[in-house]
Amino acid sequence: MRRLLPLLLLLLGAALPAAAQSGPTASFPYTLATEKLPNGLTVVRVPYPSQGIIAYVTLVRVGSRNEVEPGRTGFAHFFEHMMFKGTKNNPEGTRERIMGTFGYDDNAFTADDVTVYYSYGPAAGLPQLIEIEADRFRNLEYAEPTFQTEALAVLGEYHKNAAAPFLKMEEELNATAFTRHTYRHTTMGFYEDIKAMPQAYEYSRTFFERWYTPDNTMLFIVGDFDDAQVMKLVREHYGPWNRKATPVAVPAEPPQAGPRTAHIDWPQPTQPRQVLAWRTPAASTTTPDAALQTVLVDYLTGPTSPAYKSLVLDKQLVESIGSDYTEHRDPHLFTLTATLKDERHRDPVRLALLKEVSNLAAGRVDAARVKAIQDNARYGTLMSLETPRDLGIRLAWYAGILGTPDGLQRHLQNLSKVTPGQLQDFTKKYLTANRLILLSLTPKTASTGGTK
Amino acid sequence: MKTRALVSLAALLGLAGCASTPKPPVDPNAPPPAVPASSALEQAPPPAQPPPPARPEAVPAVPLKRPKPMELVVLARPDTPIVSFRLVFHTGSVDDPKGKEGLTDLTATLMAQGGTQKLTSAQLLEALYPMAAELGSYTDKEFTAFSGRVHKDFLPRFLELFTDVLLNPRLDAAELERLRANAISDVENGLRSANDEALGKVALDALLYQGHPYAHYVGGTVQGLKAITLDDVKAHARRVFTQDRLVIGLAGPVDDALKGAVTSRLAALPAQGAPRVELPPVPTTAGRAVIVQKSTLSTAISMGYVTPVRRGDPDFFPLALAFSHLGEHRQFLGVLFNELREQRGLNYGNYAYAEHFIEDPGSTYNRTNIARTQQDHTVWIRPVVPTNGAFATRGAVYFLDRLVKEGIPQERFELMRGYLQGYTRLWEQTDQRRLGYAIDGMFHGTPSFLEQYRQALTKMTPQSLHEALRRHVHPDALNFAFVTQDAEGLAQALRSGQPTPISYASPKTPELLKQDEAISSFKLPVRADAIQVVPVQTVMEK
Repeated sequence: MRRLLPLLLLLLGAALPAAAQSGPTASFPYTLATEKLPNGLTVVRVPYPSQGIIAYVTLVRVGSRNEVEPGRTGFAHFFEHMMFKGTKNNPEGTRERIMGTFGYDDNAFTADDVTVYYSYGPAAGLPQLIEIEADRFRNLEYAEPTFQTEALAVLGEYHKNAAAPFLKMEEELNATAFTRHTYRHTTMGFYEDIKAMPQAYEYSRTFFERWYTPDNTMLFIVGDFDDAQVMKLVREHYGPWNRKATPVAVPAEPPQAGPRTAHIDWPQPTQPRQVLAWRTPAASTTTPDAALQTVLVDYLTGPTSPAYKSLVLDKQLVESIGSDYTEHRDPHLFTLTATLKDERHRDPVRLALLKEVSNLAAGRVDAARVKAIQDNARYGTLMSLETPRDLGIRLAWYAGILGTPDGLQRHLQNLSKVTPGQLQDFTKKYLTANRLILLSLTPKTASTGGTK
Repeated sequence: MKTRALVSLAALLGLAGCASTPKPPVDPNAPPPAVPASSALEQAPPPAQPPPPARPEAVPAVPLKRPKPMELVVLARPDTPIVSFRLVFHTGSVDDPKGKEGLTDLTATLMAQGGTQKLTSAQLLEALYPMAAELGSYTDKEFTAFSGRVHKDFLPRFLELFTDVLLNPRLDAAELERLRANAISDVENGLRSANDEALGKVALDALLYQGHPYAHYVGGTVQGLKAITLDDVKAHARRVFTQDRLVIGLAGPVDDALKGAVTSRLAALPAQGAPRVELPPVPTTAGRAVIVQKSTLSTAISMGYVTPVRRGDPDFFPLALAFSHLGEHRQFLGVLFNELREQRGLNYGNYAYAEHFIEDPGSTYNRTNIARTQQDHTVWIRPVVPTNGAFATRGAVYFLDRLVKEGIPQERFELMRGYLQGYTRLWEQTDQRRLGYAIDGMFHGTPSFLEQYRQALTKMTPQSLHEALRRHVHPDALNFAFVTQDAEGLAQALRSGQPTPISYASPKTPELLKQDEAISSFKLPVRADAIQVVPVQTVMEK
């Protein structure tokens, strides 16, 4: 079965009336005013008492998931860099001067499914910000030498990240878990493709036209501002943007027929690592799957979990345990990760984590802990949204994954409804041997001959 | 020139300052305090103005101010349900005894994570978890902050837990072993192996502050951490986490009852701690380089020198603007970022700091409560491909040197002034950061520091800024730390002083290529006799 992007875009459209308002609740005290422009751009405004400071967050529903052409992995991330290069009206350097005049913090990040741009600073700069943002999303231009030079900065970013084991672990895990789906490569992309990026100038223009379209973009403006004035400017500057997203087919991953393993010998001193990963369902507004996996992370490895108490505190076999689980648009992975203190601890730690999973599958679920996790999520959300930037980025993330501007609230509602029975059913269905991928990492240094 | 015997590795990268018997550093092999001759930068055009004042031979240790014991800072805000606590003790790694490097950080970590007399560490975690309450500690050279946040729904219970961590910590042997193992792993695996950028910065600290209590990594040395006993920890907690070293910060929905409860509970801390460490002056050595040899894809570079200018000095604000112009941390506006990354594609970014910088996680802003008696000016070049290591280093020094010689044009000055008027407001967007600034202000004698900064910006001119630059910024005084695979090759390149041209895969403008010629032969202020190569395994070993 092939998964087609237009289907998702259709769902997005259906979920969203032209203008909507969702009110505050005790656990999410913010009001979202949402409007969809005729060209398909979704604009969300969120009043926030921040004394003249605003966050301006643009979500584009494109990430490394969309990189279907061979040799073009890592392109969504690379292209994010190019979005800072200018237009005919605002050539390279102009943006920095305008943003600099007001003192904005201005950056972006790319993930498997989304690219998020954020500017954070004084509301006094909003008119200029709206104008320059609309201009780059509509009219981006850059010369080939600029493109080639930026490719070297991306290579430098890869080298910087490659000093620690995490990037290699993600590369190895993805390549083992996925044979066809684009989640096979990381957001950074294959190293060979990154080195070849300077030759992809023409493709970069195609990428821009294909994905940087109003119907594939949502805008979140959070903070202290005049809503009517902002919407007037947004309509004026973004209204004429009239491209449509071009669908591509993201290959579906065939079912996994049995456990898989992968191993890394790491050529530097480091702690041994053990990862247990299972192929699990996508995040969606129509299922509790993302909420269940969020609860499972804390249930299995959180600071009050039996595994944490036993492996970290009492037996001290591991330095830390946790999970790299994040929500994805397509089926991805639920992971448990352990940073071991010694190679000899690998088997007992792996077996202990599998035992916790077996207990859940057998229905031995501690309802009080589930309730504590839900309390932690509720208060933790309140505490983590301390600035307009925090809120804007979090809203954009869930909107991007779930395809609806109120994705964060829906996710929080789903979290509050998780039951012990659902956790058991999910574990029985998905955290099974057939879906398991085991990744091990062992330091093998020439000087020490092994684990240090 | 005759090659000088190199300073011993242990002295350079591992030597801790003595906490209780401060003396100026004595190292018979160390080069004398040096003010490099103007010939050190011989390609530079002759100055149009009189030469700047010579650098002092040493940066003195003028003590920070001392707030009253348990002085209270309250930033009340009724519009949030979240209460913030920030307890800042005037103690840090400078208080680590010789041979027990890492003791202050390990003690604070054991207190914050190791449980209380009533609760094991697991029980403490269980108590905090449903509230999603935060409780942590952060130690730097001279300060240790215990921070906590909680929703007001849980305030009484959290207050009891948070204060118990300080008043009645469990200080349990098993927890000490767990956290000590983590701390050793942090040096052996984290610092040395997984983060070349941080390693370069730590190596630079060790180089600049050789023989000074700042020299060792705050997290400790491997041998120092191994030598710490539970009795050491218990005694150290009583010596340094005391009323006379404490400032109490409270923010959010704070009322008189809470203020009273916090101060009355913390009054059970020991009234007086050990005498404050008397820091020695730091010789203003220049032109030294340490090259850490390790297997790595790219080359990380840090450079800097110690400066007497810190917050409270009238010249601090113009210098802060000047370094921001050069490169505010992870911002796109800086000269170094634009010249080295954007124009030349050398790496991922390049930044400069007017005072010691440690990134506040989740932001691009400097941490609060890392104030230092003796400050440094530093430049950070993110990893470059090894063949461009010397060129990137020359590029950074070239643009710093040009800044000092030419100052900042009016238009650019106006841009930076506007930028900082807005950007500094982002530094005070959370209660913990506002408390942090308020508490730092008490030690620096700079109340309303950020407001003072913005006021100072309105009065500054390009001329006044240039004068401050000429008084205090010294490219010829830089010292260097590198992390790279071919350390000997880099050392040779630095010693020889031969040009290090760069080639590009894409076309560049004639102006840029002409500037590259100047950069590639720019004389680095590195003394051939003061370059040393050290294997990574020895960094912060003892």
